[in-house]
Amino acid sequence: MTGARPYLAPLVLALAVWVYGPLVWTGALSLLDWDLTSPDPEFVGWGNFAALAADPRFADAVARTGLYVLGMLPFATVVPLGLAILLWRRPGRASHVYRALLFAPVVLAPVATAISWRFVLHPLQGVANTVLGALGLPTPNWLGDPATALPVIVAITAGKIVALNLLLFGAALAGLDRRLVDAARVEGATEAEITRHVVLPQLTRTTAGLALLCVVVAGQWVFTNVALLTDGGPDGSTDNVYHWLYTTGFTFFDAGRASAAAVVVLAALALLFGAGALLRRRAS
Amino acid sequence: MRRATWHLVLGGAAALTLFPVAWAFLTSLRPANRIFEVGPTAVTLDNYTEALTAFPIGGLLWNTFLTAAAVTAGQLAVAVLAAYGLVRFRVRSARWIVLAVTVSLLVPPQALLVPQFLLAAELGWRDTLAGLVVPQLAQCGLAVLLLREHVRAVPASLLHAADLEGSRAGETLRFVVLPMLAPALGAVGILVFITTWNEFLWPALVAPSPEHTTIQAGLALFGNQEGPNFGPLLAAAVLACLPVLAAYLVASRRITDAFLGAGVR
Repeated sequence: MTGARPYLAPLVLALAVWVYGPLVWTGALSLLDWDLTSPDPEFVGWGNFAALAADPRFADAVARTGLYVLGMLPFATVVPLGLAILLWRRPGRASHVYRALLFAPVVLAPVATAISWRFVLHPLQGVANTVLGALGLPTPNWLGDPATALPVIVAITAGKIVALNLLLFGAALAGLDRRLVDAARVEGATEAEITRHVVLPQLTRTTAGLALLCVVVAGQWVFTNVALLTDGGPDGSTDNVYHWLYTTGFTFFDAGRASAAAVVVLAALALLFGAGALLRRRAS
Repeated sequence: MRRATWHLVLGGAAALTLFPVAWAFLTSLRPANRIFEVGPTAVTLDNYTEALTAFPIGGLLWNTFLTAAAVTAGQLAVAVLAAYGLVRFRVRSARWIVLAVTVSLLVPPQALLVPQFLLAAELGWRDTLAGLVVPQLAQCGLAVLLLREHVRAVPASLLHAADLEGSRAGETLRFVVLPMLAPALGAVGILVFITTWNEFLWPALVAPSPEHTTIQAGLALFGNQEGPNFGPLLAAAVLACLPVLAAYLVASRRITDAFLGAGVR
């Protein structure tokens, strides 16, 4: 160890101070009733957890995290998969340009993207409703109506996830054995048959991996847009667990309750990962 | 599939995702009193001059650049040392360290914010560059895992040869491993720089005042003001994207490759 120590020390130190220390600290805070500033926090034991269990707002946030997962799932799998296959079928200049354009949302600043959407979806004067109104179509208050706010958040976040996963599917397709495709073509298979029987089977692993990733982190993907565009509203209709954690800690200064929720979320994630790992082991 | 349909689907997808940003950019060039119009208007840079005087954009961009550059340099330094240490020395704790790194990538940042914020405040790091940079160094997990793969790819015979010539571990790192790692360091550096440039949650918390924060957190501040003045706000948003977007236009291949490297593993 002696030789390796100086090389590993900075990493271990950074993780200990800024990740694992805070992790333990979160556990300790979850047992306190504290507003982040008062000098003497009160020890309440499991009180915060009991309060969480009885809090319908928290239950709603948990349920809505699941809704976000469901909403994001096609944009993490089917949509980028389809686009990647289209790009792969006709390599050339045009597909290069589309690839570059479709990837752009990944590098664009999320805050700037959110502001652009808010401008375009402005209920009274935004270009979306101006055009819809001119066509005689309904002009909803996109971000201000509980019925449309969550789908809009999903749609906005989708751009970035489609972009990233399109790149990953593209890489998987680039590694695909062209000889199999050529052989199928020689045998007289149509494009659709080639896609179904030759291409798709080779993308199963990538698709499954990206679907699992979506299940675990979709709630975090939408966080920036929720925080910037709706702040969880209207009427809590776009709140999810991660936004709930953030507002409980830093808007309502309820450090104990927020930390208890963090412990619950971390335990749930650990269970999800455990289950995922078990499934993978059984599959292989 | 017919050529026209192909263009329609891909062009449509690109238009759907990029339209709002493109529209915001075009609007930022309109006269301030005509931003909600749909048809063409005169082109002016008034919103940009207004943004530069109304908001401390220059200072914010500078803070963001300093933060992103320092985090990139710091993460690369920590990650190169760790990657080399993990591969070169077969330490028994290596498995645990890799596990700790992997778990650190999976912990949602929102779950750690309260203690991280308390710690930064305790250190007197609110509204300081140190507060912006140092905590973000701990997010080097991805860089460690990526660079470890690249260090592994260095032929063992090269390392042995260096050892036989009596060079110490540090010298082998500097003169043998680092030169071979240069392309990987470039790619991982791009990835870290863009991610840090676009980060908004931590800067908004640790550096809440407009003079000390980053452009993303600053934009979020201006955007949340009552009845945002969209002309200058959109101009500021364009300026917040411009450096990274310009880099992307110049080196799109390198940048997508950097993200690809991160995603594949």
